[in-house]
Amino acid sequence: MPQVQSPSAIDFYSETYQDAYSRIDAIVIEGEQEAHDNYLQLTELLPDCQEDLVRLAKMEARHKKGFEACGRNLKVIPDMEFARQFFAGLHNNFQQAAAANKIATCLVIQSLIIECFAIAAYNIYIPVADDFARKITENVVKDEYTHLNFGEEWLKANFESQREEVEAANRENLPIVWRMLNQVEADARVLGMEKEALVESFMIQYGEALENIGFSTREIMRMSVYGLSAA
Amino acid sequence: MFGLIGHLTSLEHAQSVAEALGYPEYANQGLEFWCMAPPQIVDSITVTSITGQKIYGKYVESCFLPEMLATQRIKTATRKILNAMAHAQKHGIDITALGGFSSIIFENFNLHTITQIHNIKLELQRFTTGNTHTAYIICRQVEQASAQIGIDLSKATVAVCGATGDIGSAVCRWLNSRLDVAELLLVARNQERLQELQAELGRGKILSLEAALPLADIVVWVASMPRGVEIDPTHLRTPCLMIDGGYPKNLATQIQHPGVHVLNGGIVEHSLDIDWRIMEIVNMSIPSRQLFACFAESMLLEFEQWYTNFSWGRNQISVEKMEKIGQISVKHGFQPLLFQ
Repeated sequence: MPQVQSPSAIDFYSETYQDAYSRIDAIVIEGEQEAHDNYLQLTELLPDCQEDLVRLAKMEARHKKGFEACGRNLKVIPDMEFARQFFAGLHNNFQQAAAANKIATCLVIQSLIIECFAIAAYNIYIPVADDFARKITENVVKDEYTHLNFGEEWLKANFESQREEVEAANRENLPIVWRMLNQVEADARVLGMEKEALVESFMIQYGEALENIGFSTREIMRMSVYGLSAA
Repeated sequence: MFGLIGHLTSLEHAQSVAEALGYPEYANQGLEFWCMAPPQIVDSITVTSITGQKIYGKYVESCFLPEMLATQRIKTATRKILNAMAHAQKHGIDITALGGFSSIIFENFNLHTITQIHNIKLELQRFTTGNTHTAYIICRQVEQASAQIGIDLSKATVAVCGATGDIGSAVCRWLNSRLDVAELLLVARNQERLQELQAELGRGKILSLEAALPLADIVVWVASMPRGVEIDPTHLRTPCLMIDGGYPKNLATQIQHPGVHVLNGGIVEHSLDIDWRIMEIVNMSIPSRQLFACFAESMLLEFEQWYTNFSWGRNQISVEKMEKIGQISVKHGFQPLLFQ
C-alpha cells in the first residue's frame, strides 16, 4: 500500500524514531506474549482443540523472539512496563471471560480483535520497516492469518448459540482498541504508520472475520465502528 | 459475477445516503471518519438481457469522497480505490467496473505499480474502467441527440473539452472516422498531448475553452477532474447541444438557457428494469433503468463472459473496440440516454 513516508526517508537511528520504537516494539512483544498465554489458557476451555492451541501458542512465542530481535537490531530497549499497562484493559477482560468460561468472548478478544489488529498493523508497518524487521514481520503476518482463522472457525460453527455473546464482547472490547490506538497514534506516525490507514485496515480485516462467522453487511457496519466516534 | 465500484458525490451526499439506507453509524460522521471507513458491498444486483439471459452482480462502495482529493488527501484516495478493488476480488467478482473518480485516480496516480494489497495480489484483468462503452455511448448521443434538436452534423462544429483524456480522445477518433462532422475543436490543458492528438487525427483545431465555446454547435464535456469553470450561456450558439460526460454531472443545473440543450452524457437506459437499489441514490431520473455506461460495460462483459480488462490504460481505446462493445450493448438492450 502507498504510505506517507517511504523507508528511505526514515532515519531508523534518530532519537525520535528510537524513542517511538521503544514503545511500539514493546507493544508488539507484549502482544505476542499475551497471545501465547491466552492460547495456552484456552486449552482449558477447549480441551478438544488442545493440539491446535498449543501449536498457535508456540508460534506466538516465536514471534515474540523475532520482535525482541528487531529491538536489539536497532539498539532499542523496549518499554515493557508501558506495554503491560497498554494491554491491561484487554488482558483483564480476557481473564474475566476465561474465569466465567465464556469461550466466545475469549475468542473475540484474542482471535478476532487482537489478531485483526496485529494483521492490520503489521501490514501497514511492512512497507516502512527497516530491512531486518520487514523480513521478520512478513513471516509473522502469514502466521497471524491462520490464528484468526482458528477463532473464525469455532465462532462460525457455534454462530447461532454464541451470536449475542459475540456482539456483547464486541461492545465491551472494541472501544478499548480505539483508545489503545489513540494512545500510540503519535508514535505510530513517527514510524510512518498513519492512524486512518491502521483503522481502515483493521476494519477491513475485522469485517471480513465477522462476515466469515455469519454476520450480515448491515451488522458488520454497525459492529466494526462501535465506539469509534466516541474514542 | 460482475461488480461495480462506486462512490458518492460529496460528504453531504454520503451522510444523507447512509441515513436513507439505514446506517446511522455512518450518517452522522465527518470526513475524518470516511477517510477510515472500509469498502463495503452494499447492493446485490440482477440484470436481465433482452435475450433473456440473467446475470448477477455486487455494488462495492469504496467510501472514497471527492473532498479527499480537494483536501489533497491523495494517499487516502488511492488507498480507498485499491482497498475496494481488493474487496471485489476477495468476493470472487469476475469483472468489476471502476466508476466515477475511481478509474481517474487509478490512472492519474499510477496505481498499476501497486498490485500487492496486504495478502491479496490484485489481478488487474478482473477490472475495467468502462471507458470504451462510455465513449461509445457519448458518440451515439452526439449523433442521435443532435438530430433530435435539429442540428445537422455535416454542418456542425463539435468541441470536445477534455479531448486528450481516455474518453475524450476515443470520442475524437469516432467523430473523426465514423461521423460526418464539419469541424472538430480540441480543448484540453496539455498542449503537447493536444498536438499529438491532432497529428493522430489529421484534423481538428486546438483552441482554448473560451475561444471554442462560442463556435460550437455541440460541446462534449469529458474533462476528467473537477474544475471551477463558469460557462456564460449567452455566449453559446443556439441551438447548442451540450453533452455532460463529466463527473459529477452539474452542467444541467449550471446552464439553463433557451436554445441550449444539456444532456447527461455517458448514461445508458436499459430496456428492462434492473433489480437494485443503488441507482436511486445517484439521482437518475429513472433509477430502475438508467445507469452510467461504465457500469454497464462490466455487465456487458459478464453477459458475454469476456473476463478481461476490456478498457485499461490511457488512450488505448480504438474505434474497433468501441464498435465491439457497441454491438453487445445493443444486443443486450442498452440504449444511449436521449431527450425525452
